[in-house]
Amino acid sequence: MNQCYGCATCESADKPLEGFIKDLPFETSHHRVEGQSTKCGFGLQGVCCRLCSNGPCRITPESPRGICGATADTIVARNFLRAVASGSGCYIHVVENTARNVMDVARRKGKIKGVNTLNRLAETFGIEEQDVHLRAEKVADAVLTDLYLPEHEKMKLVKKLAYAPRYENWEKLGILPGGAKSEVCHGVVKCSTNLNSDPVDMLKDCLKLGISTGIYGLTLTNLLNDVVLGEPEIRMAPVGLRVIDPDYINIMITGHQHSMFTYLQERLTDEDVVKKAQAAGAKGFKLVGCTCVGQDLQLRGAHYEEIFDGHAGNNYTSEAILATGAIDAVISEFNCTLPGIEPICDSLHIKQLCIDSVAKKANAELEEFDFENREQVTEKIIDKIVKSYTERRPHVELRLMDEHGYDNTLTGVSEGSLKEFLGGNWKPLVDLIVSGDIKGVAGVVGCSNLTAGGHDVLTVELTKELIARDIIVLTAGCSSGGIENCGLMTPEAAKYAGPKLRAVCEKLGIPPVLNFGPCLAIGRLEIVATELAETIGVDLPQLPLVLSAAQWLEEQALADGCFGLALGLPLHLGLPPFVTGSGTAVKVLTEDMKELTGGQVIINPDAKQSAEILEQIILEKRAALQI
Amino acid sequence: MRRIIVEYEKCDGCKNCSVACMQAHRKTPGTVYDLNLTDPENESRNFIYQADDGTYRPVFCRHCDEPECVMSCMSGALKKDADSGLVTYDEKRCASCFMCVMNCPYGVLKPDRVTNTKVIKCDFCSQDGGEPNCVKSCPKGAIHVEEV
Amino acid sequence: MRHVIIGTGAAGITAAAEIRKQDKDAEILMISSDSQVHSRCMLHKYLSHERTAGELDFTEEGFFEKNNISVVNGKAAAIDTEMKTVFLESGDEIAYNRLLIATGADSVIPPVGDLRKASNVFGLRHLSDAQKIDAMAEKAQNILIIGAGFVGLDAAYGLLERRKKVTVVEMATRILPLQLDEHGAKAYQELFEKEGVTFRLGRRVQDAVCGPDGQIHSVELDSGESVPCDMIIVAAGVRPSAGFLENSGIKADRGIEVTSRMETSVKDVYAAGDVTGLSGIWPNAMKQGKTAALNMCGVKQIAGADTEYTDTFCAKNTMNFFGLVTLCLGALIPEEGDEVLTEENKRIYRRAILRDGKVRGILLQGDISNSGIWQYIIKNEINVSGKEKKLFRLTFADFFGVGERGKYVWTF
Repeated sequence: MNQCYGCATCESADKPLEGFIKDLPFETSHHRVEGQSTKCGFGLQGVCCRLCSNGPCRITPESPRGICGATADTIVARNFLRAVASGSGCYIHVVENTARNVMDVARRKGKIKGVNTLNRLAETFGIEEQDVHLRAEKVADAVLTDLYLPEHEKMKLVKKLAYAPRYENWEKLGILPGGAKSEVCHGVVKCSTNLNSDPVDMLKDCLKLGISTGIYGLTLTNLLNDVVLGEPEIRMAPVGLRVIDPDYINIMITGHQHSMFTYLQERLTDEDVVKKAQAAGAKGFKLVGCTCVGQDLQLRGAHYEEIFDGHAGNNYTSEAILATGAIDAVISEFNCTLPGIEPICDSLHIKQLCIDSVAKKANAELEEFDFENREQVTEKIIDKIVKSYTERRPHVELRLMDEHGYDNTLTGVSEGSLKEFLGGNWKPLVDLIVSGDIKGVAGVVGCSNLTAGGHDVLTVELTKELIARDIIVLTAGCSSGGIENCGLMTPEAAKYAGPKLRAVCEKLGIPPVLNFGPCLAIGRLEIVATELAETIGVDLPQLPLVLSAAQWLEEQALADGCFGLALGLPLHLGLPPFVTGSGTAVKVLTEDMKELTGGQVIINPDAKQSAEILEQIILEKRAALQI
Repeated sequence: MRRIIVEYEKCDGCKNCSVACMQAHRKTPGTVYDLNLTDPENESRNFIYQADDGTYRPVFCRHCDEPECVMSCMSGALKKDADSGLVTYDEKRCASCFMCVMNCPYGVLKPDRVTNTKVIKCDFCSQDGGEPNCVKSCPKGAIHVEEV
Repeated sequence: MRHVIIGTGAAGITAAAEIRKQDKDAEILMISSDSQVHSRCMLHKYLSHERTAGELDFTEEGFFEKNNISVVNGKAAAIDTEMKTVFLESGDEIAYNRLLIATGADSVIPPVGDLRKASNVFGLRHLSDAQKIDAMAEKAQNILIIGAGFVGLDAAYGLLERRKKVTVVEMATRILPLQLDEHGAKAYQELFEKEGVTFRLGRRVQDAVCGPDGQIHSVELDSGESVPCDMIIVAAGVRPSAGFLENSGIKADRGIEVTSRMETSVKDVYAAGDVTGLSGIWPNAMKQGKTAALNMCGVKQIAGADTEYTDTFCAKNTMNFFGLVTLCLGALIPEEGDEVLTEENKRIYRRAILRDGKVRGILLQGDISNSGIWQYIIKNEINVSGKEKKLFRLTFADFFGVGERGKYVWTF
């Protein structure tokens, strides 16, 4: 008998990874899929209500209403709004911390690495300030002021940041958000016990939360991070488990808040700190990218090539990364930090540290990020990690996977770097779209899950189907991690594209799938889309542009999705978001939305069929634009 | 013959078996996601009841050795299949007298909810390879198929 | 071994199938007075034209060939139990080793006026009756039905579907008097009336005179009212079809007397079904047929089944008219000292009669889902004391037990 934990792991689009996980002596999420394969039908449809002590109530033909009288429509809408409010809260937490960090850095006259971005924001916000630090402070303050507004006061920056035709649409629908934090509160109140029972009203609130999530949680988080951490630059970088170098003290980072690592990532390359590593027998420190914050580091990697080795994998690769044995500590500040890494960390004596209490893991030590005392806290963290390295390395077996992943993966793509790459304006891309060399644009975004065919299976298959149809794919989120580890972001992947797109890629030396980085970068895609629409002179729903959160995972993704719908974009999901028990919700999301915002939800778990549907939509939009 | 063995101690009353049964016998194509849970047409052939002590009792057709339902059928719609041992029901032959409903000693059978013309009865998912979907759907392993 | 079965109804067919199951080699011969096997419980569907005669067959396709059963058409005229021979009306003689009499019952036409001699008066018991009614219904418009029991209402239902004008005369003050209480009967009466039936309840036909054409064109009720009619269906009861047994030595009173093994007073002669007068319902006829067959084959004990007819409970019925279903079991009329529990809403009516903690009778109307437990509860006199509050919510879960091979067993 071998040492494998179990034989039935779920499929992965990343076959070498699938084999690696299958052979592991630890239980991973991939092993647990089988044991959880029996799903509750009521839960799947979103018609189980646990909002009061009369519950759980479930909808059946004998009992079409809950005890309180709630119909399937009400139960589904309440559950959905709850999820969206919660997801929005997550992103608002992220942008709040990011803006506070910019504020702290600015007040202490810290380094402003992304002056261009700062100037762009200041101009958009209407802030005229000569001093760069004061300018940064005022920009951060404007964001925080909006976030903290009450629900009944509309946020000021929405009009400045949103594309004008969209703003008009939202104003008409009455879905302009008040203070983003208050909107989350309003949302959870609305869906509580025996309050709102109007499914359409609650779904409109979801759109409102989508707008505040998108503009603040996504778009602004990216830009504020660029201000202090530097703007993305297009370059080639390695990805996959190959990035792990066992000669270093390796720190796996998980979360969504790059700004929290600002000080640490700089300190780790300081000579005195490197010496600590060397004294312990290592060459120095390395941050190993995992989840979205890893994507963020990769995106801005041009600014700190020494400390960051590359992105190893997405959320459901984290267990495998740890299982290599070469990770000495995990620092987490947000999701997607799987609870399932805990027993593996225990078993491999990997130190777990949390720097934001919202992501406090059960067996992690909490060393809350503290700007004031960042120096002491960082020293403490570094010492703990060095101790962990010293204690564990002599005993722990390494299980490296040097061949996994790719060396020449294109990264650093953003709304800014891409425009620069195209020569400073969008015309070349618009021309390619008009000529049909690029049939359309698909944002394959969001998470990775294990149930839509397996780990990244639908995401990767759909991406292949789309590029084969000459549709260029832009990614953001854990989908990026899966797609890049499958090689679709290397220039060689042009061979999977349709003849026209392939020719474009080969001419420019780029892959047919461009990685914008973390899920937050859905905000960057929105900027690209808006600027394209502006260039052509149309509204967003008219663009030959589609979104797919093929393997959406969590509540944040649903809030993102609502942003996509508010933008008026077609949004494909591989699995339904627990709403199919309500005929009204399904109709509003898949049909009526076309009239409301121009968006629509498409649910299909099959890659080929989904690609056909999305291609059809793109063709219809092209036809309407007469191109 | 094969029979669904019930270990009621393991049942948590989630009714996933009932949902699976409705899904397996729905008339329209589709997945469990779009199974209409408010449509009275969709009926489960199995029943989860709560006993007085709060625990659950799954009541499933036994495909009895000496089926009382067959012994009451005046149309020939219900039969005990000599080979498989299953008690089969032919909706087309049924005369809707519901003597079988009266005669089932465990109260498993019922008239269909919408028209009161058919009998709702376990068919062991024979159209679906003969592996009952209820069994596949039970998260607790409270029901399993055994050769008896 | 030659088994001869007279009658191809529920008891006869069940017996033939069981004999074949027990004895692959035995010779089985059935004597049928009908043109084909049919379920008398479905005759109304023939009248309504929902089913053809062929669709009334309740045996599986190729039943006789598959089971190697031969059938002789004819009507038994006499039996010589010494010679072990059945004489048919045609004069043919059929010898047997073991004989099962399963001839069922015939309609009784009361001796009122010219009812027995008129050519437009029929019972509704056999396919041949239904065929005659059907033929006459081509022309007849006004139908008079005597008796508002099961058969009478079946006939009314079938002819309503043919858009006939139906009048039903019933001696009792409610319809279905043997199956339902006043309240339950009213629900059906209203449904039938909505469909156009006229009821004359608490009334008897006093006189009926044939016209020169040999048909009765109107009857006179005890109220003096004269009801015009083109055809009369008499559904006023049945009598075991045992007339041909005179002088056979087989003891019969109203029906043929049988032991619990379905043996008659004469060796090697058995009887089952309505001809015994034990019960008038299908499930019991099947069970009697099966019991007779086992004993005819000499099987005295068998795993999982009775070889004696002990489950004699027959106060049970279900009905389904116009989609309104009803189940009635056990006592119908409460006696002094009985406790009566009722429940009613716009969809259902439920009534239980209890005595000393036991359910004596139950009536469920509108929803009979999962009601199979009630027969068991009533016939086994299970004590339900303490459960009165949830009486109508009782399910098998309240008596749940699992026995060998995953079978359910009752525990109480």
